[in-house]
Amino acid sequence: MSDLSLTTKKSKKRSSITLGQILWNWGPPAVTFIIVAVLWQLVAINNPYVLPTLDAIGNSFASDPKMYWSNMLVTAQEIAIGAGAGIFFGFLLAVAMAELPIVEKAVMPLIVVVMVTPVVAIAPALVVAFGFGMLPKYIVTALVVFFPMLVNSLAGLRDVDQKALDVFKTLHASRWEIFRDLRLPGCMPFVFAGLRIAMPLAVVGAAVAEFVAAGQQAGLGSLVTIAAAQANLPVTWASIALLCLLGVILVSVLAVLRKRVLWWSDEDLIGR
Amino acid sequence: MSVSSFAHANAVHPDDVGVQVSNVVKSFGADDTRTTVLNGVSLSIKKGEFVSLIGPSGCGKSTLLKVVAGLSEADSGSVTIKGKSVREASRHKAIGLVPQSPALLPWRTILENVSLPIKINPSANAGRALRDPREILESFGLGHAINKYPAQLSGGMQQRAAIARAFVFDPEILLMDEPFSALDEMNRDQQRMGLLDFWQSNRKSVLFVTHSVPEAIMLSDRIVVMAAHPGRIAEVIDVDLPRPRSEAMYASDGFRDLETRVRASLRQVMEAARV
Ligand SMILES: Nc1ncnc2c1ncn2[C@@H]1O[C@H](COP(=O)(O)OP(=O)(O)OP(=O)(O)O)[C@@H](O)[C@H]1O
Ligand SMILES: [Mg+2]
Repeated sequence: MSDLSLTTKKSKKRSSITLGQILWNWGPPAVTFIIVAVLWQLVAINNPYVLPTLDAIGNSFASDPKMYWSNMLVTAQEIAIGAGAGIFFGFLLAVAMAELPIVEKAVMPLIVVVMVTPVVAIAPALVVAFGFGMLPKYIVTALVVFFPMLVNSLAGLRDVDQKALDVFKTLHASRWEIFRDLRLPGCMPFVFAGLRIAMPLAVVGAAVAEFVAAGQQAGLGSLVTIAAAQANLPVTWASIALLCLLGVILVSVLAVLRKRVLWWSDEDLIGR
Repeated sequence: MSVSSFAHANAVHPDDVGVQVSNVVKSFGADDTRTTVLNGVSLSIKKGEFVSLIGPSGCGKSTLLKVVAGLSEADSGSVTIKGKSVREASRHKAIGLVPQSPALLPWRTILENVSLPIKINPSANAGRALRDPREILESFGLGHAINKYPAQLSGGMQQRAAIARAFVFDPEILLMDEPFSALDEMNRDQQRMGLLDFWQSNRKSVLFVTHSVPEAIMLSDRIVVMAAHPGRIAEVIDVDLPRPRSEAMYASDGFRDLETRVRASLRQVMEAARV
């Protein structure tokens, strides 16, 4: 009997802890969101030409979900291909620079020049060159992602544990072995820091490219410009919300991926 | 007390020489600010001999170790390992390095870390007595930890794994740069005896840098006292304590006499530097 009461006590305690944790994790942000939503609604009802009401945005989604979906897919595709290429080539160039000093010497000045050029200014030029198709959007998105990837990956590849490198060298490890077993896994924390910066930028890049060149395929960025020009606030803000959703999805996927790849760099995740 | 039978270095048969350091000079810096860190260092380590390097901070102990490891090039002079150049020796994986920090790879288990030297440069594995990584971890008292990650182990256990990693591929010479300096006193003593036990049943040439006089005496066959500015060998002291040694030896007269001798030598070196 006393045994039974003990177990129920225990389980009660455990469940109350988890409930407390849930409240602690979700409560404060939920409150913030509710406050913002209420304020939004107050402003929107009193100033219909400044903000649409939340229900007007909801109705807009409900009235034509297919249109929103197809536009979101276009933007998602730009991000997937553009950012994918930017990540790939950014990392590749970082490896080349880390392994071959001559590459860094030759390419770095050009990189710096391109890096300080505003992408927003390059976008119209790319449209002139490549037309209103998808290509200029891929290029702009790739460019935006490229630099944080390059810079972070390069820092990571350089940040090897010197003592571990000494051990590899005394074993006469080949450059490939040093790369495969030491530099590549060791640079991952930096790569993920770069991705954390690059992912939100990828959404910015895709949207900016669409502002400049709406194109046949549209996308959420084009939808924003077109709707705003027509003073159609519900569509404008519904599209903005979807761009935001894309960003949140990207960052969440990244967080999950980071946990799987970088478990070793986080002491909590190893579990002492 | 037994007298060391190999006290006379010049009488050693060439086949018994593990490492020969001849007249090594090494300096750092640009032309006008160039300082000589090693000034004509000569030293030979016999097969299976344990030699400690001790001396004031900055006298070039780590630099000498790096030159022997092939991680740094001497300006002049030569180093040979079993008659081969350091480059050649490293190609044959003849050198085992234990750095000051364990330098284990955090994304690999202890077993994978200790297996690494076997996996790296595999062409040099032919014809040598590779050890079973599991077995060697067992004998270092890490049998329960083989599938753990470095971050899950204490500093002392990590350092033991780093030593196991240096023994596993059967190198000719082990180079250790203050491997226990990051540990607290009690842990340090335990790791020291662990290394001594393992080494006494697995004799290898060892060049061991330390700041601890008792540590140098307990482990070594010879203690090389270095002086600074420029770094050079001041005195070589034979440790003629019988083996196998154990903790009881700390209290012996022979140990205390040696301690007095080494400390006197160190004091002399420091005072000479101050004048
Ligand atoms: N890469 C380098 N460039 C310039 N100077 C160096 C370099 N490496 C070592 N030195 C200098 O050489 C001298 C000897 O250094 P070393 O690290 O070998 O000393 P040490 O005896 O190991 O000292 P400690 O006991 O403090 O570890 C020091 O004065 C140091 O500043
Ligand atoms: Mg040192």
